[in-house]
Amino acid sequence: MNSSLPRGQTIVQKILARHSGRDRVEPGEHVTCVPDHVVTQELYWPTHKRNLDRIGTYRLARPEKAVIVIDHTPSAATGSPHAATHRLLKDLTAQMGVENFFGPNTGLRHLVLVERGFARPGSLIFSDEGNIASIGAVGALNIAMSSDMLVALLKDENWVTVPKTVRINLHGRLQFGVSARDVIQSILRDWGGGEFLQCCVEYGGPGLAMLSMDDRQTILASTFHAMSDTAVMDVDDIALAYVRERAGDRPYEPVASDADAHYERVIDLDLSSIVPLVTLPPEQTGATPVGAVAGKRIHQASIGSCAGNRLQDLRDAALLLRGRKIARHVTMYISPGSQNIYAQAAREGLLEIFAEAGATVLSPGCNTCWGYLGVLNEGEVSICTHQFNYQGRNGSMDSHVYLASPLTVAASAIAGEIVDPRPWLLEASPAGSVA
Amino acid sequence: MSGAHEDLTREGRVWKFGDQVSGDDGIIDFSAVRDGFGKAFDEPLLKSMCFRRLNPRFPLEVQSGDIVVGGANFAHHNHIEVSAAIKLSGISVVLVESSESGFIRRALSQGLPVVLAPGITKLVQDGDRIAVNPATGTIRLADGRTVKTQPFSERMVAIWRAGGLVESLRHEFQAGAGTYG
Repeated sequence: MNSSLPRGQTIVQKILARHSGRDRVEPGEHVTCVPDHVVTQELYWPTHKRNLDRIGTYRLARPEKAVIVIDHTPSAATGSPHAATHRLLKDLTAQMGVENFFGPNTGLRHLVLVERGFARPGSLIFSDEGNIASIGAVGALNIAMSSDMLVALLKDENWVTVPKTVRINLHGRLQFGVSARDVIQSILRDWGGGEFLQCCVEYGGPGLAMLSMDDRQTILASTFHAMSDTAVMDVDDIALAYVRERAGDRPYEPVASDADAHYERVIDLDLSSIVPLVTLPPEQTGATPVGAVAGKRIHQASIGSCAGNRLQDLRDAALLLRGRKIARHVTMYISPGSQNIYAQAAREGLLEIFAEAGATVLSPGCNTCWGYLGVLNEGEVSICTHQFNYQGRNGSMDSHVYLASPLTVAASAIAGEIVDPRPWLLEASPAGSVA
Repeated sequence: MSGAHEDLTREGRVWKFGDQVSGDDGIIDFSAVRDGFGKAFDEPLLKSMCFRRLNPRFPLEVQSGDIVVGGANFAHHNHIEVSAAIKLSGISVVLVESSESGFIRRALSQGLPVVLAPGITKLVQDGDRIAVNPATGTIRLADGRTVKTQPFSERMVAIWRAGGLVESLRHEFQAGAGTYG
C-alpha cells in the first residue's frame, strides 16, 4: 500500500469529520464543528449571564440543542448564593426558549444525556466538563469547553482540535469483588502522567462485553484524569439495546474505527489482572492494592459522583450494607445519579437497606463530590467514589480523600476503617455469586 | 473578519521552561487560585508570582510581547488564574510541546494563544528572539529557519484578535443584528 494514501480513521476522527462537513479530519487540525447538543450546569451560569449581557444577546442559535441541568446544587441551603442561580436559570431558560431545562434533582448531566436519549451513537456533544465523556458508552463524543460554551450556544458551532487516538483493548473479565472503578483507577495509575495528552481514549476489545453500561460509564467518566481530551467506546449489542429503549424516533448511526486507522498507542488490558484498589490522596495516579492501606480509620464514606452513582453502584453498596450497620464513628452519604436511579433504587428496596444501615441518602446530584455537602473537618479521612482526591476538595486542606469502588467504600463504612471488600462479600454472599 | 493583509506575527524574546511544569503549583502558587467562580483576579499578585518559582527573573524582566516556550504537559493542573497570570505578564504567545486541551481553550478565551508545537524545545533556547504567527502556524526561529505547526481555525483567530471570547462575540453581535431576544 502506498503510505502516502490516507489511512483509515478512528471513531473520534469520523464523528468530528461528520460534524464539520468534511470527509476526513486529521489529528492536530483545528476544525469548526456543529454539535448535536450543548450541555451545561448551573454553577457557570451567573458568569455566562454576565458575558451574555456584555455581548448583547440572549438569542441562542438553536435553543432546542441546549440542555441545561441543575446538578451541582440540588437544594440551596440558607445563605447559599445558589438559590438565586436556580431562579436565574428558571427565568433565563424560559426567556431563551430552552425546553430542555432540568431542575433540581433530575440528576447529573451525564445521566440526563443518556437516559433521555440526547446522547446517541455518533452524536457530538459540547459540554462543560471532561467527565461527561461517560456518554461514550453509547458511542457519543463529548468535547469539553470553557466559557466558550457561549460560542456553541450563540453560533451553533465552535472550534475543536482533532485528538489523536489511544486504543485500549479490554480482555478477560473482572474477578470477584473487583469493579469498573478499580479498572479506571489502575489505568490512571499506569497512564496518568500525560501519555494521553491531546488524545481520545477509545475502549474496545473482547472484554467490553463483560462490562455493563454502568461499568462503562464509570470508566469513561474518570478517563479525563489521564489528561486526555475525551474518551469513547465501541458500540456493541449491549450499548445498542440501551440506546434503542431511549432514542425514540430520533436518528443515530454507530461509528466504528477503520481496520487501518492509526493509533497513537495500543494498550491491552487484562481485566482479570485487576484487584481492588484504593487511590491515595492527593494524586490520581496513586492507586494501590487495598491491602496496602487496610486498617486506615475513616470518618466518612460516600457513594456518589459521575464515576460512581449509577444503579449498579447502589446495588453493590446495598449488597454489603444489607442487614448491617455502618460503624458508629462513620458518616455515610449516598447520592443517586438521577431521579430514575433514585426511583429504581426505591423499587428494589435499596433505599430501605441504606436507611437501616445508618447511611444518609441525598437527593440526586453531585453533592458530596465537590464538597457542597458532607464537608470534611481537619484531620478527617474519607473513602468515596468521588472524582477527586486533591487536598481541600471536600473541606479542610488537612482532610484526606481516598478513592475506591462502591464495594470497598461500603465495606469500609461498616468496618470503620479501610478494608478489602472481598471477605465481606463472601460473608454477604456465601455462594460467591457476585462479581 | 480577518485581515488577510494584517500581520498577525508576534515577535519576542523566548522564556523557556521544561517538561511537566505544574500550573497551579508552579507557574503560580496555589494560594492565588480564587475560592469560587466569577470573582475578579488579583492582577498585581498574579503578575508578581508568574513563573517566579521557575525563573525569579521572569516577573522582573518580562517585556510585553515576549514569548513563552514550554515542554511536555506544560501547565498541568491549572485553574484559570494560570493563563490569566501569563497573559497579564504581557506574553503574546505560548508555544508548547503538549498541554491539556482545557488549558489551551481557557487561555484562548482569555485572549492568550497557546500553540501546540511538538519538537519546539529542541529548536529554541531561552533568550532567543523568534516570531510566531498562530493564524498560519508559522514559527521563525532565531537563526532564520522557519517551522510549521497547525494553523488556528478562523474562529480561533477571531477570538485571539479580539482579545478574548466575550470581546469577539460582542464585536460579532454588535456588528450584526444581535439584540436582546
